[in-house]
Amino acid sequence: MITFEGAAKIYPDGTVAVAHLDLTVETGKTTVFVGPSGSGKTTSLRMINRMVEPTDGTVRIDGADIRGRNPAQLRRAIGYVIQQAGLFPHRTVLDNIATVPLLLGWRRRRARARAAELMELVGLEPAQAKRYPHQLSGGQQQRVGVARALAADPPILLMDEPFSAVDPVVRTSLQDELIRLQQELHKTVVFVTHDIDEAVRLGDRIAVFRPGGELAQYDSPERLLAEPVDAFVESFIGYDRGVRRLSFFPARGLSLREDVVFDDEDRVERARSVVAGDGEPWALVVDSARIPQGWVSAAQLDRAPAGVPLGSLELAPYGHTFDVGTDSLRAALDAAVLSPAGRAVGVDDEGRVVGVVSQDDLGAAIWSVSE
Amino acid sequence: MIAAVGGGGLSEAWDWVVGVTDWGVRNWSYPDEPNRGIRPKLVEHVRLAYVSILIGLVTALPLGLACARWGRLYPPVLTGVNVLYAVPSIALFFLMLPYTGFSDWTAIVPLSLYTLVILLPNVVDGLRQVPDHVRQAAVAMGFGPLRRLVTVEMPVAVPVIIAGLRVASVATISMVSVASLVGLGGLGQIILSDGFRRQFDAPIVVGIVLVVLLAFVTDALLVIAQYLLTPWTRGNGGAKERRRRSRRRAVVATGTPAAASQRPTRATAGE
Repeated sequence: MITFEGAAKIYPDGTVAVAHLDLTVETGKTTVFVGPSGSGKTTSLRMINRMVEPTDGTVRIDGADIRGRNPAQLRRAIGYVIQQAGLFPHRTVLDNIATVPLLLGWRRRRARARAAELMELVGLEPAQAKRYPHQLSGGQQQRVGVARALAADPPILLMDEPFSAVDPVVRTSLQDELIRLQQELHKTVVFVTHDIDEAVRLGDRIAVFRPGGELAQYDSPERLLAEPVDAFVESFIGYDRGVRRLSFFPARGLSLREDVVFDDEDRVERARSVVAGDGEPWALVVDSARIPQGWVSAAQLDRAPAGVPLGSLELAPYGHTFDVGTDSLRAALDAAVLSPAGRAVGVDDEGRVVGVVSQDDLGAAIWSVSE
Repeated sequence: MIAAVGGGGLSEAWDWVVGVTDWGVRNWSYPDEPNRGIRPKLVEHVRLAYVSILIGLVTALPLGLACARWGRLYPPVLTGVNVLYAVPSIALFFLMLPYTGFSDWTAIVPLSLYTLVILLPNVVDGLRQVPDHVRQAAVAMGFGPLRRLVTVEMPVAVPVIIAGLRVASVATISMVSVASLVGLGGLGQIILSDGFRRQFDAPIVVGIVLVVLLAFVTDALLVIAQYLLTPWTRGNGGAKERRRRSRRRAVVATGTPAAASQRPTRATAGE
């Protein structure tokens, strides 16, 4: 548990980095400090490992004032991941990761063995051990940064905008990796970002900082999106917070239609009778393994000659699917919006079609959970 | 005389080259008189230059570290050494005479100072160009200030330091010759006493060629040293870029390279 008690940082020239911070970071959870630049989130983070000394107030780790500890020793017990990775350019990947164990006085062989374990943990190839940082991509460098921070198995991990310098695709995969690692390791993670989406994705708790170094709101991501405390937080979260909030509701509860799903061997007239029966404008065609093939419209079915199998018609692409078991309402809504049929295809974990849901039905489901 | 080269035909030029080479070979060494001939002068030149460069480097490193650590120290120290650099080398050699007599130190002390002047900005700039995120990561990992400086910042600064060392070593090798005016100076003595005073061009040419060769070999050695010391700059991409940057920095830090290499000429002209 990390506790800020009235912590403040005011520089001699009068600049207020952090005005007054009371906050408790829970053990084993991911807490995200988010806010625009100049809101004191990084300064607050750096108070935890004494890279910044508060001018007022106290920071405690598990109840003990950190001023009682030698800064260098304190830092060796706290993992730190920095923007752009901050790897040592003159050391190999393996030796970069072994940095803190070596500082702690481990034997070189043991430190390197530990470093090799961590490379595997963060998804780096053993062949990269002997490389130098500049020979790696940005995403790989950041993985090395995470491995280095975890090398001595510290209970606390501080991450200062670690993924902001990599491209969006790599960022998403690094975020996934962090979520996976955290499920395995249960570190007390404090993560700084200016990206509210990243905060919502990663955080168990989110602290929103406002310019001038004040804490605006400290809540779970669900509550933050549902009930921003004031206009600043609301505008910081952005106008699509309603859509983002759907990430917290599972798609499991949706009622999916199965009757408009047809095998590609089925004859046109079979689909026509069902579709004409209740005015449904689209039918989904799947193969014998129930893997989606594409959409066929009611108008197409009307024109097609009798006796033709559905698979021989020209099908509209089905876009992307959502996993009924694990995805959220947001993913389902996204799939429906992007589909030419205006309908989302729900699949199981092996990609087999469970059923389809229209935007109208989704709207009703969203209405009911928002209430 | 040298002018004859321009005036004559190809065969005359060839004769001249043969003549000069012949003089060089005949005067290379005298088995009975170990201090006579070109070889002992070359050995002396290497000794004076290398010892000076080494002492300059050994003093520039801690001084540079101190200046990087305590930034306020740097401007006065830099001004101080720059003022020293402005003193003509020839004057310094004569100033040293009453204290060190005709020993090697008369040449080595001023030459080390010049090396120090050229190297100091490179050491400081090399340390300062360590990326901020690398420095901060080192702090956050739990390196103490001294340990960080020696095990992280210093190695990262090696390419810039060696770039400075290359400029300094060539300048020093060239400047050793000037010390011949106080009876030292290695190959400079051949140029001055055998050539200039006797209006005889073969020793001048042999002296110049050997000084240039020595500078060239030394530079090559430093390039090899850098290759061995900085394995991380090899391989793809980044390395080339980093080297280019460090060389540019060396030029900025020491003024133009031309100014550095002109210095001995200016000093001789003053005489």
